[in-house]
Amino acid sequence: MECFVLDCLQFLRLLQLTDSALPIGSTAHSFGLETLAVEGDLNVAQLESFLQDYLMEVARLEATFCRLGNRLASLTERDSLLLRWLELNNRLSAFKTARESRVASATLGRRFLQLVASLEDEPLLLEVQKAAKAHRADVHYSPAFGLVGGVLGVDETATVLAYLQQSLQNLIFTFQRLLPLGQSQASAMAWRLKPTLLTIADQSEELALHPENIAVFTPLPDLASMRHPTLMTRLFVS
Amino acid sequence: MTISNAQPITGRLRLGFIFDAEIQKTRLNVYTQQPPLKVIRAFPISDGGALVHLHNVSGGVLGGDQLEVSVHVETNAYAQLTSTSATRIYRSQPHLPPATQTAEMVVEEGGLLEYLPDPIIPFAGSRYIQCSRIELAPNAGLFWWETLAPGRTACDEIFEYDLLHVDLDISAQGKPLAIERVRLAAPWQPSSLARLGIYRYISSFYICKVGLEATDWLRLEKELSTIAQQLTIPGEIYWGVSTLVAHGLVVRTLSRGGRDIASGLYAFWRAAKQALYQWEALLPRKLY
Repeated sequence: MECFVLDCLQFLRLLQLTDSALPIGSTAHSFGLETLAVEGDLNVAQLESFLQDYLMEVARLEATFCRLGNRLASLTERDSLLLRWLELNNRLSAFKTARESRVASATLGRRFLQLVASLEDEPLLLEVQKAAKAHRADVHYSPAFGLVGGVLGVDETATVLAYLQQSLQNLIFTFQRLLPLGQSQASAMAWRLKPTLLTIADQSEELALHPENIAVFTPLPDLASMRHPTLMTRLFVS
Repeated sequence: MTISNAQPITGRLRLGFIFDAEIQKTRLNVYTQQPPLKVIRAFPISDGGALVHLHNVSGGVLGGDQLEVSVHVETNAYAQLTSTSATRIYRSQPHLPPATQTAEMVVEEGGLLEYLPDPIIPFAGSRYIQCSRIELAPNAGLFWWETLAPGRTACDEIFEYDLLHVDLDISAQGKPLAIERVRLAAPWQPSSLARLGIYRYISSFYICKVGLEATDWLRLEKELSTIAQQLTIPGEIYWGVSTLVAHGLVVRTLSRGGRDIASGLYAFWRAAKQALYQWEALLPRKLY
């Protein structure tokens, strides 16, 4: 893993953007995992190994798109940037065949960009939203997070790691509401999974160079997401 | 017996389906057929369609085989493709490259392609790469299912293949609708709850019709979700339905056994075909 340098302001901004209290609604989504917990497929004892495998599939896909989003910020030719931005989001939409998870990711991405655009005077953040709206394209959370990192001048790997850290925290927070998972237990789990995040960040670097090798195989969580709308009682929007 | 100098085979099949407006029927044109891939003839089916069986005369996919299928469904043509039996992926010899099968399918305006094959069965020690790309023009339709078995379950071969890549790209007017990238290589952990859990068979059924509004797809998703609920047996077979980003939806299933998948797929096909085309779905005949 390469080293990177963040200036103090970038560091503080990154901390704010990864905070679960960021008002974009990330705590309202379980991405179908609520179904797995409610239908009894998943319990606390299985959770850590589940999270490890789930991160290696889903978070690796998202981390790669986050990295690719980050790289767009350095493009100087605006038309080409916007075209690639739309392609990136369209491809991610096609990977996300479960509607609720796709819509959740697009909702978070749109809100995230809107929020940062209201905080930071950066015309690109408005242009990418406008382009997506004009082409009826989704704006997904991971490429939006990456792009914002790039716009703020934050190192690519630092942005990806920050994205992964907030994903893990959100997942664990989700399961704290779904399963009898105590705070200390949750913290310990998040702590132990840090090396997995580093592995994923490394792999996403290679995948960003060869996007044709991006793969994801999570049929059970995908099906859980497809079945989420049919749950009788739901804590989460997705 | 081991044949150490066995050479990989390249099979090609290039088919075209043309709608003859005069007789209101779809005709088959065979542009290329290079064994082991072959077709014999097209059978007329209802609604002006043509049914074609895709034969692999070697009986399965052997290590190193390179198979290419290209299908062009012309404007307003209706093609139904099926296999003659399950696609068996045989054990690969170590010195051979993985067997590959690529499928390029184009459905022109107003055309309909139904791809309804039997399951893929990757044997122990097999290495197989499959890439399918489907491009849909305005008002084109697609019913595409595929079922992946864990192996020869009767021989207790469960997930003993060495390598399995399954890529699928469905796009409409150049915009991606669905992308699947499955990369499985030994050793992997299929029973992780992040992957298959207790299930062994996986099936996907893509249903598309370009130009239909999102609200129509949501309505169909709801209708098919009711069937999914009815067919689901907790711990045995698990069905789900979801609209794609545009122009279609996907039905997925995970199952512990392979027996109930085909009848379930048929139930969805029947309901969706009725909703989208007001046509009856009749399973392709396999015995003559």
